[in-house]
Amino acid sequence: MSDLDTFRTNARTWLQSVAPIYGKAAQTTLSYDEKLALGRRYMKARYDAGFSGINWPKDMGGQGLTHIEKVAFETEEMPYGMPTSFFGISLGMPVPVIMKFCEDKAWVKERVLKALQGEEIWCQLFSEPAGGSDLAGLRMKAEQDGNGWKLNGQKLWTSYAQYSDYGVVVVRTDPTAQKHKGLTYFWVDMRAPGVEVRPIKLAGGDSHVNEVFFDDVTIDDSHRMSPVGGGFGVAMTTLMIERYVATDSAGFGPHLDLFVSLAKEAEINGLPAIKDGRIRQQIARNYAMRNGLDAITARAMLMMQAGMEPGPEGSLNKLVSVRSRQKLSELAIDLQGPEGLNFDEHAPVKDNWQTSWINAATGRIAGGADEMLLNTIAEKILGLPQDHRPDKGVPFNEIPA
Amino acid sequence: MSLLYDEGQLAIASESRRILEARVTNDALLPLLERSGEFHAPFWETAIEQGWTALALPEIFGGLDLSLVELGLIALQAGRTLSGAPFLTSSFGAAQAILNHGTEGSKDQWLPRLASGDAIGVVAFAEGQNVLGTGTVYRDGMLNGLKPGVSGGLKADVAVVLASHNGEAVLVVADLANVDRKGIYSFDNSRCAADLRFVDSAAAEIARGKTAMEIALHILALQSVVTAHEQTGGAEAMLERARDYANTRRAFGQVIGSFQSVKHRIAEMYALVELARAGALHAATRVGKSDFVKAAAAARIQATEAYDTCARDCTQVHGGIGVTWEAGIHLHVRRARTLAIEQGNMLFWEDVLVDCLEGEMA
Repeated sequence: MSDLDTFRTNARTWLQSVAPIYGKAAQTTLSYDEKLALGRRYMKARYDAGFSGINWPKDMGGQGLTHIEKVAFETEEMPYGMPTSFFGISLGMPVPVIMKFCEDKAWVKERVLKALQGEEIWCQLFSEPAGGSDLAGLRMKAEQDGNGWKLNGQKLWTSYAQYSDYGVVVVRTDPTAQKHKGLTYFWVDMRAPGVEVRPIKLAGGDSHVNEVFFDDVTIDDSHRMSPVGGGFGVAMTTLMIERYVATDSAGFGPHLDLFVSLAKEAEINGLPAIKDGRIRQQIARNYAMRNGLDAITARAMLMMQAGMEPGPEGSLNKLVSVRSRQKLSELAIDLQGPEGLNFDEHAPVKDNWQTSWINAATGRIAGGADEMLLNTIAEKILGLPQDHRPDKGVPFNEIPA
Repeated sequence: MSLLYDEGQLAIASESRRILEARVTNDALLPLLERSGEFHAPFWETAIEQGWTALALPEIFGGLDLSLVELGLIALQAGRTLSGAPFLTSSFGAAQAILNHGTEGSKDQWLPRLASGDAIGVVAFAEGQNVLGTGTVYRDGMLNGLKPGVSGGLKADVAVVLASHNGEAVLVVADLANVDRKGIYSFDNSRCAADLRFVDSAAAEIARGKTAMEIALHILALQSVVTAHEQTGGAEAMLERARDYANTRRAFGQVIGSFQSVKHRIAEMYALVELARAGALHAATRVGKSDFVKAAAAARIQATEAYDTCARDCTQVHGGIGVTWEAGIHLHVRRARTLAIEQGNMLFWEDVLVDCLEGEMA
C-alpha cells in the first residue's frame, strides 16, 4: 500500500469510529447553537487524532503533509456530514493568510492552534453592498488615526461572522487612487467596540451570513497585513490560497443514486418513473456529466501525486455541478408530486431534495457567481478579452456612481 | 491503465496531430461532400503508413499491442482535423470482434490484413432505428437480409453482422466480396455509408443468443470510446476556432470576444470539451473492467453533446461567415451529426447507461 493509501485507510477508520458521535445522524435534532458546540468538539477530536492542518507546517500545529493528503481527507470526510461548516472558511482562508502575512509569529501560532481545535473562528470580511463580484469596488474605509486606523462602513454576506472571534478585512484607505490601488488589508477583533453583526436570513431559512457594521472601530497599525494601498494583492492571495479543496460532482447536493432510487419508487402513468424516457434522459445526462467531473478530479489527484500542476479544467466543477444539482432537485420534487411539498429546512442538503433545491441558488452565487466563473474561464484559460470596464484607470472617487 | 498519459502516449498525440494537420485540409475535404462513395485517400494512407490500423491488435497478427488509450489519442487528433474516412474505428471494431470471438481460421484470414490496412472492416448491427437489429437471417452458413446505412460499408472487405437464426440472435463474420451494396448519398459522403444486401452470402457464426447480443453491445461500446475521442477532438477544434475568431473579429469598436454573450458561449464550449475529454479517457482506461460499458455509454453521451453543441455554437459565433461553404465549419457540423448516429444514437446510449445504473441499484 502506498503512503497515501495508508493515510486514507487511517482517515476512514478514524472517521467511522467517530461518526456515531459527530456524523449526520447525531445532528438531526440539534439546534444551530448545539450543532456549533458539537462542531467545536469534533474539531478538537480531529486535531487530537492528527487530521487537522494536514498540509500546514508542524511548528504551527499542522501535520506537515501535502495538499494531496488534505484533499484525500476532505474527500473521505465529506460523506459523513461532520459539523465542520462553521470552520471551513476560517481554516480555509483567513488563518492561512495570517500565517503568511502576520509578523508576530507567537501570536499567530496561538491563533492557529485555537482555530484548529475549534476554539476560535475567523471570518473573511470582503464583500460589501457595493462590491461582491466586483470586490475592488468596495467602499468601507479606514483612515489614519494617530499610530493606528479608524474603520467605518459595512460588510455584507460575511459567513459565520456571528460566531467569529476575529476577521480579516479589506478596506479603502485612499479614495483618490484607482480602485484596485487604494485598498489595504487588516485583521480585526470581532468583539471590539463598534463592531456590530446582524445575521441575514437566507431564502432557505438559514442565517449563517451577516451584515457587519464598523462604527469608529480603532485598530493598531500592527493589524495591517499589507502595504498601505497593497490590500488587493493580499485579498487575491487569500482567494487563491485554498486552491486544492475536495470537490463534489453532485454540487454538494444529493448523490445521483438518490435520484435513481426515487425514480424507482415514484410512478408516472402507473409505471415506475425510471421507465419513463424523460426521467431516463435526465439520469443519463447527469451521470455522464458527473462522470466527466469525477474523471477530471481523479486525474488532478494523479497529477498532484506525480508532482505536476493540475490543469485548469478543475475550475469547472462548481460551475457545472451546482447548476445541474439545482435542476435535478427541481425534477426530483416534481417526481415526488404533492408529497414533495413537505419541507424540513434543517434536513442536510446532501440527503434532501427540498433543501438541496432551495439552497442551490446560493451555491451558484457564493464564492464566484456562475457568470464570474465563465468570465474567468474565458479570460484566464481561453485568452478572451476582459469586459469593457469604464472604471479602469479612474480614481475611485471619480468613478460615475 | 492510468488517466495520466505517459511520455510515449503524449508523443503519439503530438506526432499524429502534426501529420494530420499537414495532410488533411478543409480544401481537400470540401469537394468530397458532394461526391458519393469517395473518401479522403491521403488520410487512410497516412493511417496505414503510421501503423494506426495495427495499433490495438496483438503482435502475432501484425499489430502493435497498444491499447484503446493510444487509439483514442489518434482518434482525438483525427477528430480535430476531421478524419477522411471512418475505417479507423470500423476496422478496429470488426478486428476486436474477430480477435476475441472469431475462429482461428477467421483470425488468420482477417486480422493481419486489418492490421496492415490491406483490408477494411465494418460492423453491421443497426436496422432502421434499432441499433442492435436482428432482422437479417442466418441459416446454413448463409446470410439473407438488409443492413442499411453501414458506415464504411461501401469500401469494406469484411463485416461483423448481427443477425438471427430461428429467432435467436447470432453474430457472424461475413466476407463482403460478393455482397451487393448501394452507397448512400449523405450529408457527409466521405463516410462511405452503404446499404448492405445479403443474398445467400457466406458467413461464419462467432456467437449465439444472449452472448451474441452482449458481444455486439461490447463491440459497439469499444467503438464508441474511439468515437468519443474523435468527437472530443472535433469539439475542441470548434472551441479553438470560435475562440480565435472572437479574438480577432471586431464589431462596435471592439473584438466580439469581449461581449459576454459571446465569451460565455465559448466558455461553455470549453466546459463541454473538458467533460468529454475526461469521460472518453476514463472509458478507455476501463476496458476489461465490469463497468466498461457504463463508462463507454457515459463517454459517448458527453462527447455527442459536446461535439453537436460546439459545432452549432462555433457557427453561431462566426455569424454569416459561419454558414458559408468555404469557411468549412459545416464540415464539423455534418461530422458531428454523422458521429452522433454511428455506433448508436444518444437515445440508445442513454438507455444502456440507465439500465446499468438500475442494475447497480437493484
